[in-house]
Amino acid sequence: MLEPVKLANFFIVFFSAASVILFGAIYALTFAWSRLKNRPRLMPLAYAAYLGLFAAVIVLAWAANLFNNTFWSVIVLLMLAGYLVAPHAIWHLCVGTHAEDLHDEVVPIKVFQQR
Amino acid sequence: MAETQTQALWWASESFWRKMAIWVTAGSFVVLIFLTFDTVKQITAGTKRVPAYSAINNRIDYVFDAGRNFQVPVIGVEEPLFGKKLTEAEAEAMVSHGKLTTQAKNCMGCHTLLGNGAYFAPDLTKAWLDPAWGSKDAREQAMVDFLMHPELAAHNALGRRMPNLGITEDEARATVAFLKWMSSIDTNGFPANFKPIDQADAAAVAAPVAEPAAPAADLAASADVSSTPAQQ
Amino acid sequence: MAALGMLTSANLNGGQKLAVKYFTVAIALFGAQVLFGMLAGIQYLKPDFLFGILDFSVNRMLHVNAMVVWLLFGFIGSVYWMLEDESGIPVVGLGLGNLIFWIFTLAVVVVVVVYLLVQVGPGEQSSIWLINEGREYIEAPRWADIGIVVCVLAFFYNVAATFAKGKFTNIGGVLVMDLIALAGLYLAGMYYTPNISMDQHWWWWVIHLWVEATWEVLVGCLMAYGLIKTMGVRRKIVETWLYIEVALMFGSGILGLGHHYFWIGTPEYWFTIGGFFSALEPIPLVAMVVHAVFDAGHHKLKSSNNPALGGFMHTLPQINLYTHGTQWTASHGHLAFFGAYATMVIAFFYMAIQKWRGDVWMGANLVGAWKWKWAIFMLHAGMITMVMAMLVSGYEQSQIERAIGGSTWMAYFAGQEHRWFMQGMFWRQIGGWMFSIGFVLLVWDMITIGKRETRAAYVLPTETVTA
Repeated sequence: MLEPVKLANFFIVFFSAASVILFGAIYALTFAWSRLKNRPRLMPLAYAAYLGLFAAVIVLAWAANLFNNTFWSVIVLLMLAGYLVAPHAIWHLCVGTHAEDLHDEVVPIKVFQQR
Repeated sequence: MAETQTQALWWASESFWRKMAIWVTAGSFVVLIFLTFDTVKQITAGTKRVPAYSAINNRIDYVFDAGRNFQVPVIGVEEPLFGKKLTEAEAEAMVSHGKLTTQAKNCMGCHTLLGNGAYFAPDLTKAWLDPAWGSKDAREQAMVDFLMHPELAAHNALGRRMPNLGITEDEARATVAFLKWMSSIDTNGFPANFKPIDQADAAAVAAPVAEPAAPAADLAASADVSSTPAQQ
Repeated sequence: MAALGMLTSANLNGGQKLAVKYFTVAIALFGAQVLFGMLAGIQYLKPDFLFGILDFSVNRMLHVNAMVVWLLFGFIGSVYWMLEDESGIPVVGLGLGNLIFWIFTLAVVVVVVVYLLVQVGPGEQSSIWLINEGREYIEAPRWADIGIVVCVLAFFYNVAATFAKGKFTNIGGVLVMDLIALAGLYLAGMYYTPNISMDQHWWWWVIHLWVEATWEVLVGCLMAYGLIKTMGVRRKIVETWLYIEVALMFGSGILGLGHHYFWIGTPEYWFTIGGFFSALEPIPLVAMVVHAVFDAGHHKLKSSNNPALGGFMHTLPQINLYTHGTQWTASHGHLAFFGAYATMVIAFFYMAIQKWRGDVWMGANLVGAWKWKWAIFMLHAGMITMVMAMLVSGYEQSQIERAIGGSTWMAYFAGQEHRWFMQGMFWRQIGGWMFSIGFVLLVWDMITIGKRETRAAYVLPTETVTA
């Protein structure tokens, strides 16, 4: 069943949805940056962004009445898990697809786990 | 160089992703085809969601359905358009003429229909039920007059008007038929919170498709979470 | 060999000569898009402007149709541009391709003239066959629809036959399959029914599956070629990523069709499907961000694509109920089309001009580089201004018209008259002016870039193509 957003929550919905996008982009960006530049110290920043993302998704889900419904609750959980894993997975894929290239490349890239 | 190397990481290889691309595309497409068969069946005119064209012979209302938690169209008592009851074939011909008119005049260049189109002028999905027409009895003629000479009516403080598109009386009446029929389509509660024109009269009691709750219900007032979905 | 820096067709191969014709028409249509967009925008502020002469509906139709057609011309041109390079042989049936170009262009001119001078017709079948079909984005009359299919089929023949005779690379393979889908899907929009639900159901097949599936893959093919050609990225890597992209785009795009099926009379299960794929939408975005950063460090280059950010929240039905059919959509559409497609085609224009002038230097310290820098800046700044302004208007419209007002005509006009809405429209127009200046600079730059340049282009060490 579809339950439209309450009028009072209108602004919260738009604001939290925008935050999801923003935090998601920051998370992906800082994550990739930290890996690329080999700076493990940046990694907590990435996970802080993920925490922000997590909070934003929860607020959005609450405001948009997503938790009143099993299907939408599952979607929310999937989103949270997917977002956490996605940058890791894509990074792996980047390294994997460029594997052959690495031998003759000047820029050293750390192939697997950071620590 | 590259081709002599064996690809160690199967999940990062070109051939793996080629197969992935093909399977994902084919899989999604097959699912889409199945869904399309079902959807087309459900949106064919003369079904529950998209009523027969002869629905224009009856009153069409838009009332809150507590089970589905949004407003749904209800086909009510007999109330023929322009006072003339039409056969199914006549009704289809009239609605079709109206739809052709909306296409030939490019209504979608300013209006939205079922929410799709341009945003320079109001949505027409429930135009038939809009309170702006005043009373239920004057509505039919008011719509025809407006369509034939829209440039005479300025609608807002901004002075935004509809141009005269050379709509004939026949076309105007057919367009009204098309709009009346369109308002009978079950759009899953779109547009939300809509307050239709008052169509009640003393004697008539509608024979509803779904049990209507309080008419013109306010969605915010009825955040009844516990009720179960009536249909899915 | 002509002097460096001169526009000489001797610098181009057969397919490329045809490509620059398509590019020329594409730029003219881009100009038309900007012009009619500006006129339509002014009518939001001054409703009497051109009232009864060139009404909003006409301007708006020309605005969106010019966009569809200029991007299509840009894509076709770009494919002809890469065709001989990619397949290793001259285009098969180039004569036909040239003939089709003239027919296609003539047809576009006739359609536009009829739009401008005839505008509307009587409510008969003849109107939708000859004047305009009245269906957003694919307003072109039916005779033109048939013409478009014939042109695309001839184009398809050129591409498929050339690849079949020459080297059938992976990029070529994906491209050919994609073009079949592109031509086939258009047929879904070519019939009449009095049933508006059915009409819009198939209409979305054309609009959504073109824009959010086949166009994206087509652009992916062009980008793959561009990366190999201008950045010297290894083919095997690019082609692997092309397949990854196809899997992501078609995987999320085909059933993503569901988010258009919330309110047009279609069954409720589309809420579930549409909602699920909205939640997937940010994943390709993350993929692109991570990959772009990786590439930036890895190859010292930047391959970026601005995907449709706002699309994500907009497609949740709980929210879409209020945003559907408002300025939100307009805002989203502007950003997505410009970010994903227009920038790509413009990149190909520049690639073409460089070769046309005999592979002239277009790297650092270019003569008159301020023009393209300012053009890019103004186009982007104008676009961002327009998008932000429409977001403000859209927010206000959802709030007043839908949430509070009850979606009646009164509520609609109450929303339109609101100060926030009008200010949004005002700033949108400012953004439009900035974009227009950017466009003028862009054209000026494209005409003059590399003219007085005497240095030859830096030639990338290209690997030998593995067939």
